[in-house]
Amino acid sequence: MKAKTAGLGKKSGRKARRIVQIVFFVIVAVTATGGALKEKGITIPVIPDASLHSICPFGGVVSIWQLLNVGTLVKKVHESSLVLAGIALVLALLFGPVICGWVCPFGTFQEWLAALGRKIFRKKYNTFVPTKLDKVLRYLRYLVLAWVSYMTAVTGKLIFQDYDPYFTLFNLWTGEVAVTGYIALALVVALSLFVERPFCKYACPYGAVLGIFNLFRIFGIKRNAPTCISCKACDRACPMNIQVSTAKVVRDHQCISCLECSSEAACPVPATVDMLALPGQVKDTFGQETAKAGKKNLGGEK
Amino acid sequence: MKITYKPLGVFVVVLLAAGIGGAKLVGLWKTESTKQPVAIREGEFAGMPNPLDIRGSYTWDDVARAFNFDVELALKAFGASDPTTKVNTLESIYGEASLPEGTEIGTDAVRLFVSLLTGLPHAPEGSTILPFSAIEVLRTEGKASSEFIEEAAARAYTPGAVQGVPATKSAEPATDIPPATGDSPGAPAATKTSAVAVPKIVQADLPASPVFDAATPTTSTTVHTPSPAKSGGESTGEGAVPGTITGKTTFKEIKTWGLSEDQIKSTTGGEIGHDLAAIRDWASSKGLSFSEIKARLQALLDAR
Repeated sequence: MKAKTAGLGKKSGRKARRIVQIVFFVIVAVTATGGALKEKGITIPVIPDASLHSICPFGGVVSIWQLLNVGTLVKKVHESSLVLAGIALVLALLFGPVICGWVCPFGTFQEWLAALGRKIFRKKYNTFVPTKLDKVLRYLRYLVLAWVSYMTAVTGKLIFQDYDPYFTLFNLWTGEVAVTGYIALALVVALSLFVERPFCKYACPYGAVLGIFNLFRIFGIKRNAPTCISCKACDRACPMNIQVSTAKVVRDHQCISCLECSSEAACPVPATVDMLALPGQVKDTFGQETAKAGKKNLGGEK
Repeated sequence: MKITYKPLGVFVVVLLAAGIGGAKLVGLWKTESTKQPVAIREGEFAGMPNPLDIRGSYTWDDVARAFNFDVELALKAFGASDPTTKVNTLESIYGEASLPEGTEIGTDAVRLFVSLLTGLPHAPEGSTILPFSAIEVLRTEGKASSEFIEEAAARAYTPGAVQGVPATKSAEPATDIPPATGDSPGAPAATKTSAVAVPKIVQADLPASPVFDAATPTTSTTVHTPSPAKSGGESTGEGAVPGTITGKTTFKEIKTWGLSEDQIKSTTGGEIGHDLAAIRDWASSKGLSFSEIKARLQALLDAR
């Protein structure tokens, strides 16, 4: 009976994230469609009609340099992007890249494709990329971020639009998408059948920005080692392939705060993997612990 | 304090909603440009709207309202019929036409038109030209001096001479626009075009620029030399030769060409823009004459 109740709790917890993801996907899809229709001179009452750029926080991020130096926003970016970037910043400081795991519609889209990939490859899904190669590729998104930031600063234009599968997804029909955008989207769709969230892992420049907050976020994923049974269920559940089972505090730059590894979802032991406040935590990346924090917060484990 | 799915989800949604709502309350939530160009900051035209800030997302109505003129003038000038259409549609209208290589009728053409119509300063891009219909409007309504209007006329695109422009759009203004000087009202477009009184300028005066070479077919022997003017004539575009200042030249570029900060400041009255700012944009934002600064800087560069 208890097990049944716990199972139901896990389902409802996950369901909460799914609902939030669907809501934001619909909001963005409807808004972007309304915006594109408005560009074509068609206005539909009730439907919001902002452009996709105006509701993308990354536009605010890449505009900061130009805003500080020239006093203007990058072309096509509006003040709303700055507002969203600010909110995302607050969320990231508190919970890490929660925008990626809960809000980003392109992450949601990749998760839906992952469900299909899981049906095809079952347990083999999301294990195809060799660990060593994968580890290196994870830093590719910082190169993308550096390139996008530099080019946007130099040209004053949203240079990433032509390569952005996210923009492509919501503008497929508008005629505004470059060939490179279609190629990028096709590549992400194909890869998503083998790897979970490939764009987030290897190429998303905004994910790269938010990922840095994993290093000093206030609330983070903690594993209570004394109660851990080392079943590795958390590792298998993590869409970003983070080895939660060997960490005491997850400070991996790729964590998206989806809580899939937590005791509320994958972990079978209550109060073993949870998102908790991390007072005094300075670092604990990739399984390395801070001795002080370990003793204080994790029952004095060595 | 343990954070579980539901509180986290609620917090995320609430913070986003509150953040957006708060931004709306204080007027920070803007998902489109205000359609009100920024004002020129300094100089003779300080406080006036800056033609440089006209965006492709402005409608003809927006432009006319912002610069206080009859929208019909803009519609006639560019062959548009719907005042609620965005000005960036020009790019697709004239993009289909075989305009002379290196020339363009787009948003910057609207800026140039507004500048010549209102007398406000604007330095157009080297590749920008106007349709001939706009010249006809400017000749009767333009507040800029006729010298500047004729400069633009010398490079104007003649609809009838170029294939590919949708007939309804290109032909329309030729019959509706006010007659040009010396023309008889109602004359066919081709007749009007050939009757344009364009000042003849000696060929040797022309800068060796592909933009000008390409821009001249419709005016055959009547080409013009851009002179330092408040409308800011320019001779070169993106493919400019190093050492030649164009509308897109940045402060960084002229530094790499050998000018010191002090030399640059001596031409601008003691100020200098950010390295990556285009000199033209910076000058415009300060209400300074780009043409004058450009002439001084070019002289310094040429003297090296």
